[in-house]
Amino acid sequence: MYAVWLFHSVSMIKDVLEKSGKKVVLLGNEAVARGAVEAGIGVVASYPGTPSSEVPITLSAIAKKCNFFFEYSTNEKVAFETAAGAAWSGVRALTTMKHFGLNVASDSVSPVAYAGVKGGFVVMVVDDPYGWSSAQSEQDTRHYARMVKMPVIEPSNPQECLDLTKLSFDLSEEFEIPFFLRTTTKVSHSIGTVKLGKIKKPKTKGKFIKDPSRYYSLRPNLQELHKKIDAKLKNIEKKYGLKLNKIFEGKGKIGVIASGVSYEYAREIFNLLGINPPLAKLTLTYPTPENIIKKFIKDKTTVLVLEELDPIIENEVRALAKDANSKLIIHGKDFLPTYGEYNVATLMPVFEKLFKKSYGFDFAKHKKKTDLSIKGVPFRNPLFCPGCSHRSIFYAVKKVYGEKTIFAGDIGCYVLGIFEPFKMQDFVVSMGASLGISHGISRVSDQEIVVFIGDSTFFHAGMPALANLKFNDGKTPLVVIMDNSFTSMTGHQPNPGTGITAMGEIVTPISIEEVVTAMGAEVRVVNAFNQKQMTDALNELRKMDGLRVLITKGECRLVTKRKLRSRGLSFTTFYIDQEKCTKCGICTDKFSCPAIRTKKVGKETVYYIEPHFCWGCSVCLQICPHGAIKANTKAVKK
Amino acid sequence: MFDLMLTGVGGEGVLTAGTILARAAQNEGNFVRGVQLHGLAQRGGSIPTFVRYGKKIHSPAITPANANLIIAFEPLEALRATYYANRKKTIFILNNWPHVPINSNIAKVPYPDINEIKKRIMPFAKNVLVFETHKLSLEKFGTSILGNTMLIGAAIGCGALPLKERTVRDAIKSTISRQLDSNLTAFDIGVKMGRESKF
Repeated sequence: MYAVWLFHSVSMIKDVLEKSGKKVVLLGNEAVARGAVEAGIGVVASYPGTPSSEVPITLSAIAKKCNFFFEYSTNEKVAFETAAGAAWSGVRALTTMKHFGLNVASDSVSPVAYAGVKGGFVVMVVDDPYGWSSAQSEQDTRHYARMVKMPVIEPSNPQECLDLTKLSFDLSEEFEIPFFLRTTTKVSHSIGTVKLGKIKKPKTKGKFIKDPSRYYSLRPNLQELHKKIDAKLKNIEKKYGLKLNKIFEGKGKIGVIASGVSYEYAREIFNLLGINPPLAKLTLTYPTPENIIKKFIKDKTTVLVLEELDPIIENEVRALAKDANSKLIIHGKDFLPTYGEYNVATLMPVFEKLFKKSYGFDFAKHKKKTDLSIKGVPFRNPLFCPGCSHRSIFYAVKKVYGEKTIFAGDIGCYVLGIFEPFKMQDFVVSMGASLGISHGISRVSDQEIVVFIGDSTFFHAGMPALANLKFNDGKTPLVVIMDNSFTSMTGHQPNPGTGITAMGEIVTPISIEEVVTAMGAEVRVVNAFNQKQMTDALNELRKMDGLRVLITKGECRLVTKRKLRSRGLSFTTFYIDQEKCTKCGICTDKFSCPAIRTKKVGKETVYYIEPHFCWGCSVCLQICPHGAIKANTKAVKK
Repeated sequence: MFDLMLTGVGGEGVLTAGTILARAAQNEGNFVRGVQLHGLAQRGGSIPTFVRYGKKIHSPAITPANANLIIAFEPLEALRATYYANRKKTIFILNNWPHVPINSNIAKVPYPDINEIKKRIMPFAKNVLVFETHKLSLEKFGTSILGNTMLIGAAIGCGALPLKERTVRDAIKSTISRQLDSNLTAFDIGVKMGRESKF
């Protein structure tokens, strides 16, 4: 039985399973999911990560219905290996991740690429220029592809997300090599009309056949495998380089080469400026599409290469132009940044200059004017939900440890602790890095450190780092494991501590308390919504030496809310007793629950709790020094 | 081609509203494209969403200063959307019930009055229509969130959003599973409000 509250009440998921031939609006990521189903996917293994999360969210919701296997693995490396094992056994497999996930998976990627696959194996990676997700760099996956020698396919829009996912499986199987399906946030999170194709019955059973020539990745066989993968790449370019990449003829000698969402921006600008220059759309961007680039540039005077992030295609065009057209002028990163996203406004001046046409509107000037119009209004940061356990934990830790302590941050909703009023994520590096970096600091400095790490992140990359803390013992930081039972930030995916799998099987949760106890830690387990329990435990642990772990239990409030709602219940809400309220501002300025607000009544500022935003955690009642916050007695309503 | 922008506060139904209108546009035979600008948090941040429909569309995002209509479920977020607006063509439809950001208290930056917001939007708008949808929703349904559906209804009713009442109604039915009846009632109230507006 799948717990109904795990599903979002609104989704387009039913459109993902519509009949062949029908046109529906899908999110890019949902279109990838449909493409995988149309390809007869047998196994999907994934660790969620924005902006890739909607692919696994969609596939986990339809796995049972479509008869394929889906799992949320503990991290991207395990997910990659799970999918690779299935593909080695002849079953089509998919793994999805954000760009940083590939760093985690990378240890296994090259050997699997060398060995090749039997069943089609697609590794979908979503890059995040601009950093819409909680990403710590704008790394460009296309570099990886060149390092591990895996082909790259790049869709530009939702329709291509579907079609090219399907095609990637076919090509992966044809050439026995795993394929990267690389998108960016703007492709994955764009919506669009998609014409659906036929769903293929999945093949879920396979067989691993022993084959030393393929799987023995030791020398001298290693060189043979290396030779083979190079030959595969050559063959792919030879057979599909001219077929999958397209030249659109146009007017003039100035051409545009574009891939991904930049292709759509180029088209949009052509329309806005009323121009029609020759255009090369690159879809199979690695192996380097040499043939089409040579063909395109040979009669041009100038080309503009459009690609977000690094000048990879641009440099390849430069290299190819040496023989194909040595006089060619190549523009790209001389005009455009290697950071952030492209858009029509940033690209327009480049087109205006190259094609000597004016759009007649100055975006930069307009931006200055509109910036002025929002001057002096309050900024809206993303923040913890009302009733979120993280707010309560940060409040308690700050109370005990003060502001001078080093607060090591990690990846999860709690990263929002970086903002006011807490500012308690002094550095955020990568999954699990809070522990490793803190260990390094504590070896050379006497400063006090508190580490914050969530349950899913602990299972993902925290366990080896915690073992290291114990192994290389000394003065260690205090570790707070913020257990809210889910991988909440990406949409409440279950993890080994949740007690349910993505396929809805009830399983015995792995106890974090037992794991850290086995590692020899002094452990306290407290209720994250109980300030006294937390501050008592923190004060006790602070005085101790050695490895100390505080586990704070507090289910993600969004899940609690959905659970209550499914039973026709709602939260006990709280209110501020105006006679007792001294307007000290602690609840609004130091605790900052979005349900607690102020309004002007006449000349006076009144503090109040907006009942429809109160999710009943009761922590405000505990922190009010004047006893002014009270529970509404009508606790339960239908 | 019609360029629609929806904006509001994360976790308050902006994406759902975008889904409903994208589906309605699709069911009227349009080619649809758009994008959701979100990432970091589920909740509490500004969430602009674009829905573009017509014959053939390329960029998922609206070209700045080119929106035909901006529907803002939160007044301050309407002000933040002016980059996409243009006094020659952009109509703003907004709800007047503020969702005051916590920053207002922390940084002691007061939340501007609705008339001040309107005044600041005016140089970038052909017209600004303000509806009391969320307050009405709270009074009538005990929750402000149905104000979103009501505001969409108002946009249809006043004619600023060229989609058919019936197709949007159907899209609500196929998208929303919880409180469907209340949503449809809210939509009908909104349509009526829109029709009776001076627009």
